[in-house]
Amino acid sequence: MSISRRVFVRGGALGLVSFGLDPLFLGRAAYAAGASGSSRLGAAKGRTLVCLFQRGAVDGLSMIVPHGEEQYYRERPRIAIPLEAVVDLDGHFGLHPQLAPLKPFWDAGALAAVPAVGSPDTTRSHFDAQDYMESGTPGVKSTGDGWANRYCQHAHDREHADTPFRAVAFGPQLPRILAGSAPSLAIDDLRAFGVRARPDAADKLTRAFEALYQGSATGLLATSAEESFEAIRMLKTANPSVLAAEHGAEYPRGRLGQSLQQIAQLIKSDLGLEIAFADMSGWDTHVNQGSDQGQLALRLTELGASLAAFATDLGERMRDVCVLTMSEFGRTVRENGTGGTDHGHGTAMLVLGGTVNGRRIAGRWPGLDPAARYEGRDVAVTTDFRDLFGEILTRHLGARDLSAVFPGYPSAPDRFPGVIRA
Amino acid sequence: MPTMNRRVALLALGLGAAAPTGAQMAPMTPRDSALHVLNRLAYGSTPGLADRIAREGVLRWVDRQLGVDRADDPGLKDVLAQFDLLQSRPEDLLRSYLLVQMERRQEKRDAAADSMMSPDERLRRLPPEARELRALGAELPQLVVVRATESDRQLAEIMADFWTNHFNIFVGKNLDRVYLPSFIEETLRPRILGKFEDLLIATAKSPAMMVYLDNAESVAPGSQPPVPDRMARERMRGFARGRGGRPGFFPPMPFPRGGAVRPPANQRGATGLNENYARELMELHTVGVDGGYTQKDVTEVARILTGWSVERPIQGGGFVFNDWAHDRGRKTVLGVEFPAGHGQDEGMKLLKLLAEHPSTMHYVSGKLCARFVNDTPPDGCIDDAVMAWKRSGGDLREVVRAIVRSPDFWAAENRASKVKTPLEFVVSAVRAVGGVPDSTPRLAGAVARLGQPLYQHVAPNGYGEQQEDWVNSGALLNRMNFAVQLAANRLPGVQVNLDLVLPLASEREALVAAVDRLILGGRMSAQTRKVILDQLADVNDPVQARALAVGLALGGPEFQRQ
Repeated sequence: MSISRRVFVRGGALGLVSFGLDPLFLGRAAYAAGASGSSRLGAAKGRTLVCLFQRGAVDGLSMIVPHGEEQYYRERPRIAIPLEAVVDLDGHFGLHPQLAPLKPFWDAGALAAVPAVGSPDTTRSHFDAQDYMESGTPGVKSTGDGWANRYCQHAHDREHADTPFRAVAFGPQLPRILAGSAPSLAIDDLRAFGVRARPDAADKLTRAFEALYQGSATGLLATSAEESFEAIRMLKTANPSVLAAEHGAEYPRGRLGQSLQQIAQLIKSDLGLEIAFADMSGWDTHVNQGSDQGQLALRLTELGASLAAFATDLGERMRDVCVLTMSEFGRTVRENGTGGTDHGHGTAMLVLGGTVNGRRIAGRWPGLDPAARYEGRDVAVTTDFRDLFGEILTRHLGARDLSAVFPGYPSAPDRFPGVIRA
Repeated sequence: MPTMNRRVALLALGLGAAAPTGAQMAPMTPRDSALHVLNRLAYGSTPGLADRIAREGVLRWVDRQLGVDRADDPGLKDVLAQFDLLQSRPEDLLRSYLLVQMERRQEKRDAAADSMMSPDERLRRLPPEARELRALGAELPQLVVVRATESDRQLAEIMADFWTNHFNIFVGKNLDRVYLPSFIEETLRPRILGKFEDLLIATAKSPAMMVYLDNAESVAPGSQPPVPDRMARERMRGFARGRGGRPGFFPPMPFPRGGAVRPPANQRGATGLNENYARELMELHTVGVDGGYTQKDVTEVARILTGWSVERPIQGGGFVFNDWAHDRGRKTVLGVEFPAGHGQDEGMKLLKLLAEHPSTMHYVSGKLCARFVNDTPPDGCIDDAVMAWKRSGGDLREVVRAIVRSPDFWAAENRASKVKTPLEFVVSAVRAVGGVPDSTPRLAGAVARLGQPLYQHVAPNGYGEQQEDWVNSGALLNRMNFAVQLAANRLPGVQVNLDLVLPLASEREALVAAVDRLILGGRMSAQTRKVILDQLADVNDPVQARALAVGLALGGPEFQRQ
């Protein structure tokens, strides 16, 4: 196990060097950040944020393992990740072995982890907590739109004025995070987006509907239809679906791999994608979550392989991309009676990309000492998720004002966990 | 609008004669009026229905729709008999659910070594009760679609949908997957056109709402259950450890997945108030967010409702008032004093106070007008509704009647001014072509794919009534695809036979005119007519031509409006 892993990791790192990810893309990213100085919007041009929601509350302690803490092994006799299997990051924390494909990005300074992040709201209900994380207003249920949509509503710029692809969610429905008045697309599968008919009839039918909406629609129906047909036209011209994965990247089979591959295709097609969203379920591991192998490990395999494939595929372009993982809360420090963990509080989130202040555990780590835990049982939250998201919106995308994005939460850069190079 | 115009307009409608052309009023034939009420008080017309209503008299039809004694159409008896859900008692559902939870626990232990098992394999291994529950769960949204499509009591179905959203319950919250059927059938549907106060009280006492908004967990700080309860609690403990659910998507998953046999916190040793229900009760159910309450009021309402809870699942899981959990101190809500020393009775007093509050009349009337008249409802119809509310003591039948009789309801600028929700679009399309849905969940699945998975709205505000909630680019394309599939009878879950409603025509002009009449009520714009005719120009097969014309009409902009 550990030999093959080392070989794999080394192979991955070599691969990176060979297609110029490191140091080239990092060097250029640093240069871009330095050159643009305080002109945030300039720095933000062409940038993309990819949000990846781990629905069901991921066990942060198994993603970013505090292997330097005895308490961790005391509390989890059956499910702790064995010290010899952990992919060490900084002597105290390490990656789950199934996330080993991400280690080269850590080494290259493109990956940071925030191990104790979460919501100030203390609910342990999945649906409330997911709702809060997507609305961006913890504790307030009546918020109608999502924070990513509010960002689009309030950050007007010419670059995104003409593209229907500014905000895209992969899935059958528009998730809460992108709900709201700013245009956003829900795409289940890029290859099937459009008016569906036999290949020889599709164009004609598309033109017919376009003519119908041009002629007889008014108001929002007219503008939305215009965006739809514009999107179809842009997709037809750019034809992102034919873009094969590059640099030897291999996306794992499954929904997440497909979504990330299609996000990469949109980015490569220069369609103006600014915020992309995908989600993944199966993290609610109350029973038999396993250790370096098992249920949770399987999910992490898919996550790690998908993210690594995405970053590898994008190569040089990764310098303008930031991937953020998020989950509604973490899980109990102590394993439960059925070899799993129950609903907790703080969890870990990963930030990957060319603007990332990487090779770094960000935010204060409260430790696993019972006195330092939330209610004596859970990882305490030391970074409000709005500070993490807000930092990325500000320093990666160039948002100038977060007051409308996270209403009622005064933005304060001194609370930013420092995951993006300022 | 001047009162005289209004009276003349109503007179004309009642007599079934042409309405007068007021200065701001487009000419309105009885058929136009019939189409308008079918768009707003029903899920659209079915072949020939608008003509029948125009002949019968539009207001007479409205009165008949308002006058129903119960929501269910007796004519639907056989159709509804296909839904096992309606034959299942809540206690049975709960019992099966508990059984499944226990079996699953065992099964999970057995399968511990086998974590590589595929989802299909896992599904096959589910106990029969689990598969049964899953099937029943899938019936819930389909029942909505079938009733909306086929019931003659259309307004009742519209009202059921309205209150389902007003008192939204998310099916994925803990035991709500078990409580939801009785919430719909027994709490809401018998009261859709009754007194608002009764409806409010019924929802407040429903286990579904108690669980959804956590009131079941709210206890007076420091209160302790009596000793026998605590012992029972200990016995429950091993069996009832909480397990949270992942929101949404429940049909494709094993039914009890992530659901929790989770006794309310007051049986697990909760320590204090939970304000969740108290806040939403005022913000969403009654006075509205601008209704003039403070955080202090929210806390006081929560205190008044301490002890309102649900029984443990093994005891039946119904409503229970736990005296031990109730805060008997003095409270003040919206300036009204609730003296110390009271129990469940002060909760009733509170609900009556809220139901009759002027802010509630305005807030709920405004929502009804947004549904029936315009996304941004004019003050005039809200005032009419509030007047009727006051006069009738909150009789919803009279409130809705007043809205329909308000001149704003008929004003030209409010006609075809609203965009259909996915549910309204799907159901009205199926009705327009005389389609017949089956009892599989596939048509409800189409509504979900268009963005409105029924009973899966997580937040308590329910699905929105504004066009911004529904119109976005991806969603519009999905509507077009749905329309094309439906017209070609290729949509799973519904049977469409165009031969019955639209005879084949050799003449293209005649075909488009017939499509116009069937689907758009004869109000197709010249541009739409031209585009459809252009499209038909090189289609020689009359069956194909008909399907194309119908698909374009259903997927086009005019049919998205109501």
